[in-house]
Amino acid sequence: MSEVIALKGSVLSLSVLKVFSDDFAKVKAVLTNKVAQAPDFFKALPIVIEPEVSPLAPMFLAQLVELLHQQNMMPVGVRTADPQLIEQAEYAGLAVFEPVKVSAEKVDKADQADKSRAASSAASADTPDQGALMVKTAVRSGQQVYAKGRDLIVTAAINPGAEVVADGHIHVYGKAKGKIFAGSNGNRQARIFVQQLDAEMVCIAGLYQMAEDIKPEYKQGWVEICLQQDRLVFNLL
Amino acid sequence: MARVIVVTSGKGGVGKTTTSASFAAGLAQKGFKVAVIDFDVGLRNLDLIMGCERRVVYDFVNVVQGEASIKQALIKDKRVDNLFILAASQTRDKDALTQEGVGKVIEDLRADGFDYVICDSPAGIEKGAQLALFYADEAVVVTNPEVSSVRDSDRILGILQAKSKRAIEGDDPIVEHLVLTRYNPNRVQAGEMLAMEDVVELLNIKLLGVVPESEDVLQASNSGLPVILTEGVSASEAYKDIVDRFLGEDKPQRFLSVEHKSLFKKWFGK
Repeated sequence: MSEVIALKGSVLSLSVLKVFSDDFAKVKAVLTNKVAQAPDFFKALPIVIEPEVSPLAPMFLAQLVELLHQQNMMPVGVRTADPQLIEQAEYAGLAVFEPVKVSAEKVDKADQADKSRAASSAASADTPDQGALMVKTAVRSGQQVYAKGRDLIVTAAINPGAEVVADGHIHVYGKAKGKIFAGSNGNRQARIFVQQLDAEMVCIAGLYQMAEDIKPEYKQGWVEICLQQDRLVFNLL
Repeated sequence: MARVIVVTSGKGGVGKTTTSASFAAGLAQKGFKVAVIDFDVGLRNLDLIMGCERRVVYDFVNVVQGEASIKQALIKDKRVDNLFILAASQTRDKDALTQEGVGKVIEDLRADGFDYVICDSPAGIEKGAQLALFYADEAVVVTNPEVSSVRDSDRILGILQAKSKRAIEGDDPIVEHLVLTRYNPNRVQAGEMLAMEDVVELLNIKLLGVVPESEDVLQASNSGLPVILTEGVSASEAYKDIVDRFLGEDKPQRFLSVEHKSLFKKWFGK
């Protein structure tokens, strides 16, 4: 049987349009002038927009995309970390690329043992080498544990009034009576695994369920919680 | 080298001061030199329970603020040798205490050759309670067999593990002990109180002992006598066990089961 599709990763070279001014008229004038010098070169050229100024006017991105189309270029995405711009880009159907922090990446590769540096670069790149955060003592009432950008493993109890939060998965080898938040940065693939569930609340990527809504049969032994179509799904293991 | 022991609970009215008084008296009876400090500035009670309220000249705040020496302020107990009380001030508030001041007092007591310094913490988790536990080497967490008390004890255990001097400086952690007071096996059986096993399981620290609920405790407190010094009552026996276990003796837990009144007792009252 012949292959119908194949999904593969590929590194492509794209042109990046850096924008240093928030004055659209000025940008338009300069850009039009530039394209006029070599119209063939710019024809159907895929472009990633990278604004270097913020904040931009709400209509700036839309106007710029329209201008690029007029000039026969192909805007495909935006490289930014600005939440407002990301929202506009998604609305306009553009891909969002993470800005590259050159210094952080270099540090990461050169000196992986340096944990504080690695932590500072965690925001820009995923750092699977960091591993899960391990907590071996009971998380007590009033205490909060946050595993930023990684998984969390608790090998003791989570007592009532305690909170455990992770951007990744959460594993609890013990009784969980407090609140559990997995995928707290919006990761909908995050899952929760609990040896004995009696939590006040479980939450994945902002979708939560309170204790009284959790069926008793899931409070007997190992249970897995995941998110399927905006609903928390419980599976006995 | 003096060991500093904080008696704490989070919640109020669970028996911290009663436990401090009896625990200190029990250790002193064993021959140790013991000082017990009332950290509940503004609501002093320890001196009442120890029966020395009319002998307070200088108090803890006076010493912390350098207005009196530790020797002037320590009140020697009249019943037990080697037992000294440092009363709280009734007229000041908890802001009168400072961390350095408290540290200085504990240093002075160490220099004076005390074996144990018992810090009777105020209720709550604010400044007063945090000062009482800051210098602790060991903690006696007093809990009643009810949900709110257990929750508050859990909270205070978290604070012991995060905000004590030992935690901040990365030393060996504070040794934690649990004392379950006001335990009533009848009410546990009726489901009105948490069972000992449930409390121990949740707090997950070593149980030093269970003190049964009894009128004798109130009576002893009202007459200014640490209940451990009252002969022939169950609460006194319980506190003696607690002191023995603290000092390393292996004793089975008592006062956990329902007491069946004998026919004799039924006929002739108590």
